[in-house]
This record gives sequence, structure tokens and C-alpha cells, in this order.
Amino acid sequence: MDALLASIGKNLFLVFGLLACGGSLAMVGSRSAVHSVLGFLFAMLNVAGCFLSLGAEFLGMAQILVYAGGIVVLFLFVVMLVELSRAKNRDQSVFAGQARAVLPVVLAGIAALAVVVKDAAFGAASPQALVLRPGIAEGLDVARNNAQAVSRGLFADYLLPFEVLSVILLVALVGAVALAKSERV
Amino acid sequence: MPSPNAVLLLSFVLFSIGAAGVLVRRNVLVMLMSAELMLNAANIVLIAFARHSGTVAGQAFALLVMGFAAAEVAVGLALVVALYRKRDTVNADDLDLLKG
Repeated sequence: MDALLASIGKNLFLVFGLLACGGSLAMVGSRSAVHSVLGFLFAMLNVAGCFLSLGAEFLGMAQILVYAGGIVVLFLFVVMLVELSRAKNRDQSVFAGQARAVLPVVLAGIAALAVVVKDAAFGAASPQALVLRPGIAEGLDVARNNAQAVSRGLFADYLLPFEVLSVILLVALVGAVALAKSERV
Repeated sequence: MPSPNAVLLLSFVLFSIGAAGVLVRRNVLVMLMSAELMLNAANIVLIAFARHSGTVAGQAFALLVMGFAAAEVAVGLALVVALYRKRDTVNADDLDLLKG
């Protein structure tokens, strides 16, 4: 059992990758759009796990925040708005009867994941995950402070793309409001 | 640390699933999600090579790609909502105004 857990902990990237493939297959293959969004959420969370196991802690957390917190919720809103009239008669009783059985399974899964991830998450930081130029790495333990390291690299070398991105986000915000508002108001 | 081949293989599989989703599905929402999946497959490769070379460039660009993906989703979903208002459908096969 310990050997199995240890080998899973060493190959976390493959575990998360296979789960991401499964989630994306469920996304493409499912008939109902709500199930597609749930498969998409599962795939994105597992991609975040891949990022974490590749040593990009900041990006993994940003992936969870941006996708699970923002994009999936937006997709769900639009699916509810657009598809609800068609899916109403079919999807009404999908989750109501199963909720009691699902909860223990989810809790057991979380407990198993905590056991597996414990060593990978709280073990020693891997050496040389990221190397910054000497000029911008001053006074920073790069191996342990991924967010600070990424931000120093980003704002030292890639400031212009970052600013362009902020302008594009502003344009997308205004454009989305202009496209989606009803024409009468 | 996974081997580069494993990372490339996973990214290839995810990208193919996303491309297949765009090509096969007719629901515009699922096509948008599949496009997001392709962007994420590219992000995995960027981060893996950042990890291998030890430079910060890959992680910085992955962050930028994430922001672009968010902008794309905002505009795309606004288009879907406007489309649903006008044509009462989200099926890509029904959008044949330009067909001769």
C-alpha cells in the first residue's frame, strides 16, 4: 500500500494528465451541455494539478481561480440561459436521488488525495525549478517563492505584453457588454 | 519531474481532443470549451519547457495566455447570447446565412 502511494506521489503528473484526458473526453462526448461544462471543470482542475506537479505553483493556483472561479461559472450561466428550456424535462431528477451516495465518495476521494499529495506538497522544494537573472533575483529564494519569481520575471522582461493584455481585457469587457445587452434598453 | 515525452504526449492528446470537439460537436458552447482546452494544452507545454530550461519566460507567457483565454471566453459567450436572442439556436449547423 505504501509503495503504491509512493509511486502515485512520484507520478502525480501522469495521474492528473490521465484524469484531465478523461474530463475532456466527457466534455466532448456528453449529450447535455451542463454535463459538458462539468467535464470541462474537471479537466481544468486536473490541468491545474499538472501545473502544480511541474513546479509552477502560482500558475496552478491562477488556473484554479481563473477557470473554476470565473470561466466555468460564466459558461454555466450561459448554458442555463440558453439550454434550460430544452433540457428541463430530461435533467430534472439527475442529481436529486444520488446526492446522498455522492457525498461519502467525494469525502473519501479528498482524504485519499490528501494522503497522496502530502509528501509532494510539503516535502523539500525541488532544486532549480526556476533560475532568474542575477540582476532581478536579488534577495529572493527562487525555489520556494514561485509567485515572486514569476512576477519579477514578468515585470522585468515582459512588461509590454502584460500591458497589452490589460488593454485587451478592457476591450473584451466593453465588447462583451456591448454585444450581450438587449437592443431596446 | 515527468519526462519531456510524457508532457508532449499529454499535451498532444489534450489538443487533439479539443480539436476533435471543435470539429465534431455542433453546439457552439461546447466548441468554445474545446478551444479553451486547446489553449490549455499549449500552456502545459509552455510550463514544461519553462521547467526544463529553468527560465521564467514560459511561465510568464502561460499567464498571458490565460488572460487572453479569459478575454476570448467573455467575447465568445457574449456572441453566443446575442446569437440566441436573434436566431433562437446555439447549433452551428443552423447558422447558414452566408451559404449560397
